[in-house]
Amino acid sequence: MLDEQLEELRRATLAGFASAGSLEELEEEKVQALGRKGTLAQISKEFGMLPVPERARLGKLLNAVKQDLETAYEDKKRRFAQAELEERLAKEWIDVTLPAPGIRPGSLHPVTQLQNEIEDLFTSLGFAILDGPEVETEEHNFDALNIPSTHPARDMQDTFWLSNGHLLRTHTSPVQVRGMRQLGPPLRMIAPGRVFRNEEVDASHEHTFYQLEGMMIDREVSVANLIYFMQTLLSSIFRREVTVRLRPGYFPFVEPGFELDIQCLICGGIGCPVCKNSGWVELLPCGLVHPNVLRISGIDPDVWGGFAFGLGLTRLAMMRYGIDDIRQLQGGDLRFLSQF
Amino acid sequence: MKFSYNWLADSVPGLSTSASELQRLITMKTAECEAVDPVGAHFKAVVAARVLALEPMTKGKNQRVTIDAGTGQEITVVCGAPNVHPDMIAAWVPPGVALHGKTIGKAIIEGIESDGMLASPAELGISRDHSGLLELESAQPGMPIPGLAADWVIEIDNKSLTHRPDLWGHLGMAREVAAITGGTLADPVKLDALPSDEPAIKIEVANPALCPRYSALVLENVKVGPSPLWLQARLESVGLNPINNIVDVTNYILAELPQPMHAFDGDELVGGTILVRTALPGERLAALNGESYDLDPADLVIADAAGPIALAGVIGGSASAISEETTRIVLESANFLAASIRLTSARHKLRTDASMRFEKSLDPENTVRGLARALELLKEACPGIRVVGGVADAATPRIVPAPIPLPVSVVVKKLGAPVSADRVRRILSDLGFAVQVTAPDLFSVTVPSWRATKDISLPDDLVEEVGRMVGYGEIAPAPPLVAATVPPANPMRLYLRQVRAQMASQGFTETYNYSFVNQTDLLRFDFDPALCLTVRNPVASEWTHIRPSLLPGLFNNIVSNVRNYAEFRLFEIGHEVRLDRASGEVSERTHSAATIYSAQGDERDFFELKRVVECLFTGARLCSAEAKLYEHPMRAAEIEWRGSTIGRLFEIHPKLLEQEGLGGRAVLFDVDLDVAQSLAASRVFRYTPPRRYPTSGFDLSVISELRLPVSRIQDELAALAGSDLASLDFVRQYAGPPLPEGSKSVSYHLEIGALDRTMTADELTAIRNRIIQGMRGAGYELRV
Repeated sequence: MLDEQLEELRRATLAGFASAGSLEELEEEKVQALGRKGTLAQISKEFGMLPVPERARLGKLLNAVKQDLETAYEDKKRRFAQAELEERLAKEWIDVTLPAPGIRPGSLHPVTQLQNEIEDLFTSLGFAILDGPEVETEEHNFDALNIPSTHPARDMQDTFWLSNGHLLRTHTSPVQVRGMRQLGPPLRMIAPGRVFRNEEVDASHEHTFYQLEGMMIDREVSVANLIYFMQTLLSSIFRREVTVRLRPGYFPFVEPGFELDIQCLICGGIGCPVCKNSGWVELLPCGLVHPNVLRISGIDPDVWGGFAFGLGLTRLAMMRYGIDDIRQLQGGDLRFLSQF
Repeated sequence: MKFSYNWLADSVPGLSTSASELQRLITMKTAECEAVDPVGAHFKAVVAARVLALEPMTKGKNQRVTIDAGTGQEITVVCGAPNVHPDMIAAWVPPGVALHGKTIGKAIIEGIESDGMLASPAELGISRDHSGLLELESAQPGMPIPGLAADWVIEIDNKSLTHRPDLWGHLGMAREVAAITGGTLADPVKLDALPSDEPAIKIEVANPALCPRYSALVLENVKVGPSPLWLQARLESVGLNPINNIVDVTNYILAELPQPMHAFDGDELVGGTILVRTALPGERLAALNGESYDLDPADLVIADAAGPIALAGVIGGSASAISEETTRIVLESANFLAASIRLTSARHKLRTDASMRFEKSLDPENTVRGLARALELLKEACPGIRVVGGVADAATPRIVPAPIPLPVSVVVKKLGAPVSADRVRRILSDLGFAVQVTAPDLFSVTVPSWRATKDISLPDDLVEEVGRMVGYGEIAPAPPLVAATVPPANPMRLYLRQVRAQMASQGFTETYNYSFVNQTDLLRFDFDPALCLTVRNPVASEWTHIRPSLLPGLFNNIVSNVRNYAEFRLFEIGHEVRLDRASGEVSERTHSAATIYSAQGDERDFFELKRVVECLFTGARLCSAEAKLYEHPMRAAEIEWRGSTIGRLFEIHPKLLEQEGLGGRAVLFDVDLDVAQSLAASRVFRYTPPRRYPTSGFDLSVISELRLPVSRIQDELAALAGSDLASLDFVRQYAGPPLPEGSKSVSYHLEIGALDRTMTADELTAIRNRIIQGMRGAGYELRV
C-alpha cells in the first residue's frame, strides 16, 4: 500500500516537474511533494506503525524516491537558470564595431623616436649621453675645437651671433669639449641636440636641425676602429648590412678627417637619382680627434687618442621616413606629426 | 674651385687617366669632386673660314655672307655681327654642332638658309665678348682654330680645400694627380728667366708681420690688347673672365701656382717707392669694381707717395688700373698674413679670387716664382714687352719649421693597418716631402713650403697624407678594444623620456618649434623684449629673439592647427633662454609646455589638463594664482609639487584667440622640468604596510562660501581628523536651492582607523564629533 503511494508520488511529481513552466510552478510541485507538510512527509508519518523489517525496507524506498525527486528538481531548476541566463545574455547584444570613447595616445616627434633608438644603442655600448646648452660661448663652439677666429673654417658654418656676444651652437661638438673637461679619458660619449646655422630655409635646408655627436677616447683608437664602429652603428640604425667608405674631408677638430659615405640603400650602389648616380650617399663627417683639441681640453695626445663623428639626426629621420620637405619637422602641423 | 683637365695635364706630362676616373680618384684621395663637365667639345668641329662676300638683307643688320670654310664649295651663312668684313678669317660652326647645349642647324633667316653660323668669342666659350665675331689673325680655311681644344672641367667643393692653400691652383692639384697616378710633376716655373739686375722700384714694408714678402717687377713697352685664344679659353673654362693680356696673365698665375698678382700702371704711380702699410685714418680707396671703400686703420694697403693704390690682397685701385694707354707696368707678387686679409675682406664684405686664396695662408716662396712665370707668359701674350731692372723683393726670412719626427709605428697605430716603412717614405716623397731616415722605423720629414704655412705641422697631419694615399678602403675594420666600464648616468634624459612617453599616452602629440621668436610673440606673452637675447644676424625678420618661453611657439601651433582640427592636444619639450637683468647671465632651462584646445571647450578641459598634471607629477596641487595678462583672469593656477612651484596651468585669455579670429578654448601648462626632475630624483620612497585593522567611514557635508577653494576645506578636515585619518575623498559639491545664494555644499567621505587596533565605536564617535565641532568652530555650517 505504502509502496504504491511512494511509487505514485514519484511518478506524479516527476510528471509535475516535467510540466512545470516556470520556477514558481516547479517550487510549488517541490513543496507539495517534499515540503514539511508535503506528501512524502505524510507518508513517512505512517512508518511508525510498521514492523521494523518493513519499516527498513520502505525507508530505503522512500529515500530513493526522495533522492530521485531532488535530483530531478535540481536538474530542472538548473535548466530554468540556464534558460534565464541565455535570455538575459541574448538581450545584451552590442555592436562591437562601435567606436570606443576616450582619448587616443598622441605621438612623439620622429626625431625624438630616432634619437631614443640611437641613444639606446650607444648606451648598450657603454657610452655616456651628455647634454650641453644651445646658447654657447665662442670658446666652446670654435676655439676649443681648433677653429680660431681668423680661421677660414669659420665660414664653413654660418653662425647666429647673439646680443650678449655668445652664439647659437653650430654643431653638437662643443659638448665634446664639455665631456672631455668633465669626465676626462678614457671617454665614450654621445651628445644629441639641436643646432643652428644661419641659412635660408627651403625644402632641403633648415636653420634649425638635430645632430648627434659621438666621441671615443682611449689609449689606442685607430682609423680601422672607426670604420668598424661606423659600419656596426649604421647597420644597426638602418637595420640592414651597410657598406661604408671613408674619403678625405676637412674639419679642423679632427686629423685625419673624413667624409663617410654609405653605399646607396635605394639602388645598392648601381646608381640612381638619390645617389646622383654615384652609388654612394654622403652621410656624416668623422675623424681622429685632433691633438690640439685633446690638449686644449687637458688630455695628453701622446697618451690618448680617439675618434669623433657627427650624425645628422634630422637627415636620418628624413631618410628613414622618406620625408622630402625638412620644414615639416618644425612646422607644428598635426597632420604631419600625428603620423609618427 | 674649377680645374681644367688640360691645364693639369700640362704639369703631369703623359697623363692618361680619364677625367671621370680622375674625379673618382681625387674624391677618394684628396678632396671632394662635385662634377666633371666637358667644355669646348665643339672645338673639334669648328673651323676657320674666310669671308668671301657680303650682301645686305632686306631689313635689320643681318647680312648674307658667303664664306670659304675649306669644304671645296662656297657656304652661305646669315650674320648680324657688326665686325664682319670681306677677307676676315672667322670661326665657322657647321650645322649639327652644339654650342652651350644648343645644336646649330640649317636655319632659314628672312628667307635665306644659313648653313651653320659664324660665331663670337662668347658663343664659342672663349670669353664673355659677344660684341662681334671672333677674328683670327691668320688661319687656313677648314683648319681647326689654333690654340683651342676640347677640355674637361673638374669642380671641387671649396669647403674641402679650406686647409689646402696649394690646391687653390692647378699646380697643387697636378702634384696630387701625379702622386695618385704615379706620374711626374713638371714645374712650369723657370726662375732663371728673371734678370738679377738692380730693381727699378723700391719697396718699403712698414708691417712685415702683415706682409712677410713683397716682390715686384717693372716692365715697359707694354701694349695692352687681347690675350692669346688658348689663354682666354683656359681662364674662361675655370670661371675667370678674360679682360686683357696683362690682367689675364696675372689671373692665370692666380689659378696656377696659386699666386694672386696685381699689375699697376707704372706711369700712374707717384714717387718711385711702393709702400706696404696700414691705412691712415680717413683714407679711402676707389677700387677696380667701381666701389669706394672707407679704410680701417687695421686694413693693410699698398700705397704710393700720394696714398693707397690697393687694398692689400683684396682688390686694386681704379686710379692705377691697367688701361689701353698703359705702356709701363709694375707687377706685384706678394704674400700677406692670412688672418689680416680675412678680417679686411670680412670688414668690407668683399671676397675676391685673391682674398679667398690669401686667407688660406699662401706659400711665400711663390712671390718670385709668380714673377718668373708672369714674365714667360707676358712674352707670349704681350710681344715686345721688356723687363726694367731686376726683381725687387722685400722679404722677412721665412721661419723654416723643424722637420717632423715620424715613427712609422705611429702611422701604423693611428691607421690601424700595416703600412710598410718604404711605402710611407714613397708616399710622402711623391707629395713633395723630404724624408730622411734617422733611425730604423723613424723618419725625419721636412714639409715643403707650400704645405708648411698652416696645413702640416704634426705627425698626425702626416698620418693623414699616408692614409689617404694608401686609400681608406684598404684598411680592414677592427673592433676597438676598450675597458668595459659603466658610463655615468644621465637622469635628466631618462626623466624626459618618461615625461614624453606619458604625454603621448595621455593623447598629446609632440611638436618641435624654433628657438626664435619675434617682438609680437614676446609682447603677447608679456615678456619685455629688452630682457630677451636677440640675434644679431637673424635669418628672417620674424626670428629676432631667442625664446624665453615655449608658450609663443605652442600658441602659434594652436592657431595653425585650428583650421584642420576641432580639438587636439600638443606638447613640446625644449629650452627656454632667459637673461638675468642684473648679472647679464644667461639661464637655459628645460621646460615642457602642453595644450588642450577645443572648439566647443568648457571648464572640463581645465580639469582634464589638471588630471594630466597629476598623472605626471603624482601628488601635485594647484593653487589659484593671480592671472598674467595672457591668462584667463579666473582660470589661472600655480602647480605645486613636493613643496616647490614647478609651473602654471591656465586657460589662455579668450582675447588672444579672438585676436587670431578663433573661438574655442585652449588650456595650457608650462612646467620647469629641471626643477621637476630634481624633485622627482630627491624622493626617497619607503613602503607602508597595508592596514591590518579595519577602518570605519562616514560622510560630511560642509557648507561654505561659494568661491572658497575646496582645497582649504579639505586641509582643515584632514588637520582635524589627525593621525587616525586613513583616507579623505571628495564626493561632490552642490550649489543651488535650498542653499542660500553665494554658498555651496561640499561633501567628503572620511575613513578613520588606528594602525595597531580596531577602534571602538566610542573612539570613532569622539573623532567624528571633534571634526564636526572643529569645523563649526572655524565658521562652517555642517550637514551631518
